[in-house]
This record gives sequence, structure tokens and C-alpha cells, in this order.
Amino acid sequence: MGPLEGLAYGFSVALLPTNLFACFIGVLVGTLVGVLPGIGPVGAMALLLPSTFAMHPATALIMLAGIYYGAMYGGSTTSILVNVPGEAGSVVTLLDGYQMTRKGRAGAALTIAAVGSFFAGTVGVVGIMLAASWLADVAIQFGPPEYFSITLGGLLLLSRLTGGSIVNAFVMVALGLALGTVGMDSISALRRFTFGSVQLAQGVDLVPVIMGVYGVAEVLLLAEQGIAKTRITSVKLRELLPTPEEWRRSTMPIARGSVVGFLAGLVPGPAAVLSTFIAYTVEKRMSKTPEKFGSGMIEGVAGPEAANNGATAGAMVPLLSLGIPFSPATAILLGALVVHGLQPGPLMISQRPEVFWGFVASMYIGNVMLLILNLPLVSVFVTVLRLPQHVLATLVLLLCLVGAFSLSNSFLDLWVLVIFGVFGYALRKLRVDPAPMVVALVLGPMMEKTLRQALFLTRGSVVDLVARPLSAAILLLAAGALLGPPLVRLLRGRRLAKG
Amino acid sequence: MAAGVYLTLALQLPFGAAARPGAGFYPVIVAVFAIAVALLATTSAFRSAPRAEAIELDAAPRRRVVITVVALVAFCLVLRWVGYPAAAFAFVAVVLRYLGSRWTTALLIGALSAAGSYALFAAILDVPLPRGPW
Repeated sequence: MGPLEGLAYGFSVALLPTNLFACFIGVLVGTLVGVLPGIGPVGAMALLLPSTFAMHPATALIMLAGIYYGAMYGGSTTSILVNVPGEAGSVVTLLDGYQMTRKGRAGAALTIAAVGSFFAGTVGVVGIMLAASWLADVAIQFGPPEYFSITLGGLLLLSRLTGGSIVNAFVMVALGLALGTVGMDSISALRRFTFGSVQLAQGVDLVPVIMGVYGVAEVLLLAEQGIAKTRITSVKLRELLPTPEEWRRSTMPIARGSVVGFLAGLVPGPAAVLSTFIAYTVEKRMSKTPEKFGSGMIEGVAGPEAANNGATAGAMVPLLSLGIPFSPATAILLGALVVHGLQPGPLMISQRPEVFWGFVASMYIGNVMLLILNLPLVSVFVTVLRLPQHVLATLVLLLCLVGAFSLSNSFLDLWVLVIFGVFGYALRKLRVDPAPMVVALVLGPMMEKTLRQALFLTRGSVVDLVARPLSAAILLLAAGALLGPPLVRLLRGRRLAKG
Repeated sequence: MAAGVYLTLALQLPFGAAARPGAGFYPVIVAVFAIAVALLATTSAFRSAPRAEAIELDAAPRRRVVITVVALVAFCLVLRWVGYPAAAFAFVAVVLRYLGSRWTTALLIGALSAAGSYALFAAILDVPLPRGPW
């Protein structure tokens, strides 16, 4: 199926009333959690995952992904109006966004952010269509050795990019990998590390871990801060229109941000966050007046806001074409597909076109919905911020508890939730990013399976494993990215010492 | 910082020892990696020890966090015995009270959310939540 036919078919799937409704719920919830500080898209996706088990896989994917990109729209609202990031992808936006609010240009900032997000979202979907189908064609030739190299390389890159110390990231990876080995061995069905527990034989489920680390832990942080009164600038509808000057200045940053964001999304790592920092730096470099950044430059809002939406789209590419998630959010999407017995990977596009194309088409529709939700209705969402935070936090906790239990009606999942909630809170306090652990927990079993299959193929020779051209290239790339920056720094340091 | 690293170390060591041959091939690799990383982290933690500062909280925020955690643990412990509606009600009411609501609001929201979530999950979504003795 060519991209155009596929897209037409996709729209016929996405426009089904159920899927339209799922899309709407997804982007609505996404906007809400985006607007509310403290509750991020990953936690919300984990919360709603159990409710998608009864849905068609395409519907489930449409709704959960809607939360993910919806949150990128909502997050900017809080950043701009309250000077608190609604979620991590909007941290950069507040630098100039809130300054614009102080200058009375809040409406313009909101409009530019939403339009930029919309443009990037649309560009991103086109990117997914082209990149995912192309990558899937290439990936059909991949065997276990290549998959092993991709997962290994991805994990290494991820640890490099999460920020903070790489040693900490490796500790998180090791922990995630170790957790991933708990349960029944996928090849010989031996039980490992279960300590005789029948429930543990199924392994540590990803969802309660994510709910704990991204849901409960966030609420504990809120609980620590206690009740904070937020001061909210109200925006009137007619103030929303940017001046022609502001439009003109935003055009190029939006375009650049979209591309930068999408590319950043393709790379394993915290793409949505990272892409905003990259976009901001790019805009500052391109600007004739870089010193004015931080004082309410519209470019500083337009670029990053476009970038985080582009990045969410880019992050879908490895998931949809290779079946490999490189971020907690896409790991949940993978979980949603696997529950329905789908095998995401190069064959999914041709075998289950209704899922892939329906999803792609729904992202177009979702972006239109978001533009409507976030511009004329922005004041409605802002009132959500007036809700007492602690009530909301408590209800989120309760939802996490019920949600974790309802996954498989198991008390074990409840304990996993609470333990990882506390653990996640401790990690926040130590400023360690839990993402590598979560991703390693998902990728670990994949790595083990592909490694053992690959070793069967090469009759136990590690050299043969690494020497296959594709797999060698992938590993070299990862090694380069991992060791490159420190090496360059080392060389530069030497040169400086000499000169 | 060092304490956290030690904790992961302690957690990871038995993994290596318990690994079984055959199915244990990969776990051994993971364990070796884990131990190497943990050693690395420990040395770097020692090296930066002087500037590692303990994360101290004031009494009030710490109490709020501790109470929330205790409530979570208590919920998991009693759920099997008292059933979901009662546990949810008590959980929400207690946490709300300690996070700053008045008793009346806390009890009211507790009752509403317990009833609402029970109706949603048990009645509509067919989750077999424990009902308790009554």
C-alpha cells in the first residue's frame, strides 16, 4: 500500500465513531495532564492502559498516543501563564513564555505555541508515514543479531542522553535489565528469581512500575510541597491574536523546531525534553539578538513548542517500524499492542494496516482537535489549575491503586506500585532519571531473546555476531555517540594544555 | 547518594549467584554488568563524597510524605480483609486530611471517590475488586 492509499484507508479507520471518540478522550486527557503540573503524560497513559484492554488495538493506540502528544500542547499553557512547567517538555517554554505574559502578550504566546505544535504535529505525521514505511522495509532484512545490536545500542545511547551522570544511568539500566530477567525464561520456560512465587513467574509487569515511578512518585513530590496557591493570569479571547510581526518572527522557528524535534525523536532518549533544549539553542544561535532571549522573545516559544510535538511523532517511528520503544511513553504503547497479541515490527504495517494507518490518520485528526481545544477553550483548561492540588493528587493515588490492581487482579502489582512509587520519589530527590530503568525493563527481555537466538545462529561465536555488516554498523554508531563527546573533550583539553 | 548505590549493589549481588546455567546465561552477563556499574558508581560516589549533601526535609513536608506512604502501604495490607470500598474511603479521607483538607471535606470526598471508583471499576469495567466482609 502506498502512502496515499494507506492514508485514505487510515482515515476510513480513524473516522469511525469509536476511534474519533477515543482520539478525543485521548487528546482531552492529554491536554489536562499537560496543563496540570505534577502529573505527566507517562503516568496518565499507564493509568488508562487497563481501560484499553477491551478496545480494538487501533483504538487503544489512538487514545494512548493522543494523551502523549496532547500533553505537549497542554504543557505550554501552564508554562506560559503560571511560570511552572505543566510537564517536562515545556520547561524551556517558560523562559520566554512567562516573560511574554508579564508583558501582556500571553495570548500571543499561547497561540503561537498551539499553532507551532499543530504545524510540527502535522509535519511529524508525514515524517512517520515516510520514515516508518521506509524503515520497516529495511528492517525486514534484520535478523536477531541486528535486533540485538539495535536494542543494545539504543540503551547505551539512552544512558548517554538522559542527562546527569552516565554512571547513574548505567545503574538504572542494570537494575532494569535485572528486573527484566525475573519470571519465566522465554526459551526454556525455567523460572528465574521467582523465589517460589507463582505470581512472580509472569515477571515484573511494566505498568505498575511506570505508575509507581511516574504516578505515585510525582504525587509524593506534590505532597511534600503541600498546598501551593497558584496565581493565574487570565486571558481574554480577543487577546489571543498575535500581531503580524509576531507571526512573521515565528514562522521560521516553527519550521526549524518541527524538523529538529522530529529528528531528535528518532534518537533513543528523552526526546520531547531534549528536543526543546536543542530548538531553543538553535533559535538563540540563529537570532540576530541572542541577548534578548529570556526576556519574552516569541522565537523562544515557537521553536521549542514545535520541537516537542515533532519529537513525540519522531519517537513513534522506531516503535512502529521496529517494534522497539526507546522511551517510557512508547514502552506503554508497545505494552498496549502486545496485550492484543500484536507483534509491532516491520511486518505490522503490512499485516495490520488498519492499526498503523488508522493510527497515523488519527494523529492528523487529533492535532486538529488539539488546536481547537487549546485556543478558543484555553480558559476552560486554565480553570483546572484552580482545583485544589491535594485533592487531585489524592485521587490520582487512588486511581493508581485501582488501576494497578485491575491489570491482572493481583495484589503483587499493588506492592510493585507502592515500592516503585517510593523508589521513584527517592530517585527524584537524588536527581536520577528513572527512564533508563523503565526502558531497560522493556528492552531487557528483547535483548536476551535476540542475543540467544543470534548465538544459536552463529553457533556461539560472538565475533560472527558483531561482524555482520548491519549489526557492526549499528554498534559502531552507538559506540561513537557514547565515547565521542568525552574523547573530543579529552583531545580539546590536551590541545589547550599544550597551547 | 552512596547509600542508594549500596542498596542497588546489595540487591544485585544475589542475582549473579542465583543465575542458572542455560537459562542463566544472560542473567550472568547482566549481573556482571550490574556489579561493574555498581563498583564504578561506588568509586565515583566516594570521590565526590565531600560535595555529596544529604537531602534534608523540614519536619512538615517529611511528615506529609511519610503519611502518604504509610497510607499506601496500609491500603495494600488491609484491602484483602476490609474490601475495596472501605479501604478506598479510609485512604482518601486520611491522606486528604493530612495534606490540608478539613475533616468534613476529607470524609465527603473520600466517600464520593470510593463510591464512584467502585461503581466505575467493579460495576462497569468488571474488575473483581475485593468487597470485604460486608
